[in-house]
Amino acid sequence: MSKVIVITSGKGGVGKTTTTANIGTGLALLGFRTVLIDTDIGLRNLDVVMGLENRIIYNLVDVVEGNCRMKQALIKDKRYPNLYLLPSAQTRDKTAVNPGQMCKLTDSLKEDFDYILLDCPAGIEQGFQNAIAGADRALVVTTPEVSAIRDADRIIGLLEAADMREVDLVVNRIRMDMVRRGDMMSIDDVADILAVNIIGAVPDDEDIVVSTNQGEPLVDTDSLAGQAFLNICKRLSGEEIPLLDLAPQRGILLRLSDFLKRA
Amino acid sequence: MGWIFFSHKSNSGEIARRRLKQVLVSDQSGCSPGLIEGIREELIGVLSRYMELDSGRVDIGLTWMECVGTKTPMAALSARIPIRRFTNMRNESCFLTINSKTTTIV
Repeated sequence: MSKVIVITSGKGGVGKTTTTANIGTGLALLGFRTVLIDTDIGLRNLDVVMGLENRIIYNLVDVVEGNCRMKQALIKDKRYPNLYLLPSAQTRDKTAVNPGQMCKLTDSLKEDFDYILLDCPAGIEQGFQNAIAGADRALVVTTPEVSAIRDADRIIGLLEAADMREVDLVVNRIRMDMVRRGDMMSIDDVADILAVNIIGAVPDDEDIVVSTNQGEPLVDTDSLAGQAFLNICKRLSGEEIPLLDLAPQRGILLRLSDFLKRA
Repeated sequence: MGWIFFSHKSNSGEIARRRLKQVLVSDQSGCSPGLIEGIREELIGVLSRYMELDSGRVDIGLTWMECVGTKTPMAALSARIPIRRFTNMRNESCFLTINSKTTTIV
């Protein structure tokens, strides 16, 4: 039974594409046949984050318009045997496809794949409507910032209005050092405000920038962010895994200072 | 003790949490934050006829309130108004419940 999952956020720049790339790669690593679809028509980026930009010939709009067959447009990731990418068109805009066409497109992939992940564009206009049309589950990505959480709340409302069956939250770019000194909302604060299940919390990790620079998802590295993404994949597939302890190892002096501050 | 380590516990995370809660209630209830500001000014004006307020510390905002018989919570106006002293106490017209030095209207 294949699952169609949309990764969305409302606000731009919170890490939708990075999340899509890493969760998709992680699911492929776990042995699931996975396809990533970049639905951000006109502003495609999933290809560069995945390091597959040089292999694009056809794109999503070509498939929808019948210029090519699905098999011709799918890019096989040579590093992971189960992973494919359907890139977006760069020279068109969101009106090039409609929600009905997106439903047909995702339905046509269900036979060949266990997971179909849709990377949604920022905003709540047609690009968003297209991306959620064929999905039966949504992951809302947010960061512990006022603006991102406000947009996530709006998106959750729109997903509920669209009868999305399952909606989970990914809290990205958590900095435990800032949470500890009271300068960042904690995972619990975010959970309390948005009242939605948190499927994973990903620490703010320099390795993410390095991995994006190189076009290599970090989910199969032993970085903390990589582990967090892999745990999300396992939870998606039904395993019960507790949230990762994101607190970095602290020396005795820092711990003593914490203790004294609390005293 | 924090001063020993040249650091202090700040609370911008808490400020973010409070602001966010306010903005979400006003987004979801469709009430513009400017309206609450207007209510605040008028309320201070009316109450000042009866009492001397610490107007700098008046805390008025929207929250959610569970109501018996309704499925979804209702938006509720919540106000905490510190009173310095009552100037012209008219008990028969005073509908506020007085709780030590703070008055709460929900």
